[in-house]
Amino acid sequence: MSEEQVQVASGSTIVTVDHVSLDYHKEKEPLPVLVDVSLKAAKDELVAITGPSGCGKSTLLRIIAGLIKPTSGRVFVLDSEVKEPRADVSMVFQNFVLLPWRTALENVLFGLSSRNDLSEEQKQQKAETALEIAGLAGFESVYPGELSGGMKQRVGVARALATDPQVMLLDEPFSSLDDLTAERLRKETHSILINPQTSVQTVILVSHNVEEIIELADQVVVLSGRPAHVVGDLKVDLPRPRNKKSDEFFQWVDKVYSLLS
Amino acid sequence: MSLDFGLVALDIVSSWVRMVLAMGLSVVFALAVGIWAARSRRAEAIILPLLDIFQSIPILGFFPFVIAGIYGAIPNFVGANLAVIVLIFTSMSWNIAFGVYEAVKAIPQDYLDLLSVSRTTAWQRIRSLYIPASMSRVAYNTQISWAVGLFFLVASEIISIGQCTPASNCTNIPIPYGIGVGATNFPPASADYALLIGGIVVAVIIWRYLFLRAFALWSEKFKMMEEPREHHRDPITRFYSYVNHRAVSKLFLMAHDVGVSRFTSTISRFRKGLKYAVLIFLVFFGLLVFSSVSHSGGVNLGSAPSLSFIAQQEGGVLYALGVSFVRVWYVYGICVAIGLPMGIAISLNFKLYDTVSPILEVISSIPAPILLPAIVLIPVVGGMPEAVAAIVIILAIVWYIIFNVMAGVRTLPADMKELPSVYQVGRLSAWRNVYLPGALTGFVTGSITAIGGAWNALIIAEYFNPSGTPAGVLTQVGSGIGKTIVIATNNADYLTLTLAVVSMTVLIVSFNLLVWRRIYHHVTKRYTYNR
Repeated sequence: MSEEQVQVASGSTIVTVDHVSLDYHKEKEPLPVLVDVSLKAAKDELVAITGPSGCGKSTLLRIIAGLIKPTSGRVFVLDSEVKEPRADVSMVFQNFVLLPWRTALENVLFGLSSRNDLSEEQKQQKAETALEIAGLAGFESVYPGELSGGMKQRVGVARALATDPQVMLLDEPFSSLDDLTAERLRKETHSILINPQTSVQTVILVSHNVEEIIELADQVVVLSGRPAHVVGDLKVDLPRPRNKKSDEFFQWVDKVYSLLS
Repeated sequence: MSLDFGLVALDIVSSWVRMVLAMGLSVVFALAVGIWAARSRRAEAIILPLLDIFQSIPILGFFPFVIAGIYGAIPNFVGANLAVIVLIFTSMSWNIAFGVYEAVKAIPQDYLDLLSVSRTTAWQRIRSLYIPASMSRVAYNTQISWAVGLFFLVASEIISIGQCTPASNCTNIPIPYGIGVGATNFPPASADYALLIGGIVVAVIIWRYLFLRAFALWSEKFKMMEEPREHHRDPITRFYSYVNHRAVSKLFLMAHDVGVSRFTSTISRFRKGLKYAVLIFLVFFGLLVFSSVSHSGGVNLGSAPSLSFIAQQEGGVLYALGVSFVRVWYVYGICVAIGLPMGIAISLNFKLYDTVSPILEVISSIPAPILLPAIVLIPVVGGMPEAVAAIVIILAIVWYIIFNVMAGVRTLPADMKELPSVYQVGRLSAWRNVYLPGALTGFVTGSITAIGGAWNALIIAEYFNPSGTPAGVLTQVGSGIGKTIVIATNNADYLTLTLAVVSMTVLIVSFNLLVWRRIYHHVTKRYTYNR
């Protein structure tokens, strides 16, 4: 999609989280949330971050997005430091976060509203293409209230894709959906995102669902409970498409569970 | 210049005693009526529309009849106080009753089954389940009801002691002490008046934080369900997000069986019960007018006024009503210009919210009418009755908009507020596309309540000529329905009074049904955030 896409060799590092720590300040007493977290996300790979609930997975994702400043450590995307939210990083939210007063297309356009380099027609074109990739052709003028949960999340994905991001952050994207819908969307995730049609170079997924992670991820980063630190960083070398009923799959699931407990 | 501490203290204590009595009465009434409506379908069909009527009419306009009726029957200290207490009661009981009704309705079926299985008596159920389950809502609604009640307390004290009009001799009804009495009797520029205002602020703070807040915290332990988000726990957000759908009259939901799903089953019953409720209300109102007129000596009963005289009076009433209508709307416009941006800006900043909201809560609890004599003292502005009236009304209603908008923005999901930064959307666009539409439901609810409040506030704001200022009328607008009502009240001109109150009520109710209901329906359909 993007004309000036940076050419990076497959396997090279796109996102670097470098010794990031975060403290919350509660009544002047610093409360550590993340302790010395480091990870790397390579080109064309999907990195999953998991950990016990409330451990700070989503907080880590928001640090990568530039929404929260870490107490120490740094985050790099393509060798430039992340200091604030930026155009080459997009995010898909757990609860979709669509504006109920705007149609599907207008919601996608909202993500493009800061792009002054594009004409209105170009924005329109981009938004329509993104909806198409996300599987929503024909639903442009529908309001979120009239869409099912799965379709709402597709709008969320389209909005994130339309901005031509290099890095796509997914914050528990399937956990607000019913099982069947989640299953279907999960199957399409890899092909929607890591796809030559899009600009996405790497995907970082936060999830507490271990099977989901083994189904999707090329790399798994396991965080411990509070304060969170990395207790495991594994390459998942299962071939795709992955058979969720195979023994190897279960071994991987067990491996991650044992790190979590 | 010596300060009369004793008198000021007596004023405050007297008013507080009236408030506490009215509050106790309201809570008892609310528990009885709310539980009854929630547990009996037949009672529900009449009670809900009846409460709703009381919520939709300008209660203060009916007060002259209440005082004439009650004081006429019991023409002494007790009767006068009873009239004031009844008015405060009317202003706050419906709100608490709705809270009780909803709390009891929301009790999970499992609990009811448990009590059926263990064969408890009705009284045991009430004591062991219904009342405890309502406690948290009673406590929270009480905090807001207190502020509303204070406004009506002051207004009713001012109306009770009477105002001087060209035709009356300032005949006072014996309410010797009270904050509204003090504000009327102390000369506006006096130190005693200043002391009174200061005393009220202190009393409001102490009462709010030592009693109401403690009651609310204590009631927490009766809560049946967990509430998910921590930031919903502050009282403003909690109260107004509870109220969001409900404070708006159910008349609004009637034509469309959408809106709040919890009520949809109730709406058809509501519609059936409405005509009986209207009938009950009309009988009640008729009795009130009859008793007022008969107690005033029945002077007008012998010689019935001619039809052309009535028409002529009604013409004057309609003109005044038109003027007040314009006044209500331009003042509302000012309140929107202040309250909407202020409400959004405050709620977007957590630190600001935590500092500012308790201050706003206290200021909003200071009853606006009490400040009227002080406003008259402001140079230039004080000399313009139109400006004085506008300021009093603004101080009475701007809070509804600020607080409802604040609750609307605060209940937006946290990640919705991240959206503009994730996509680096500019501040202007974020306001236009996210915050303003996000606040819209709360804003419309606040607007409906504010307009209702403005009609009540008019009755104090348009004409103020207390007996304590013999120098002449303190302030009066050129024309207005509030002025018409006050003058008719003091002249015991029940024909004009009835015409004025009925015309005003008809205007307000039809405006609600024809205009606000449509807006409300559209906004809740499109602008409510549902996952």
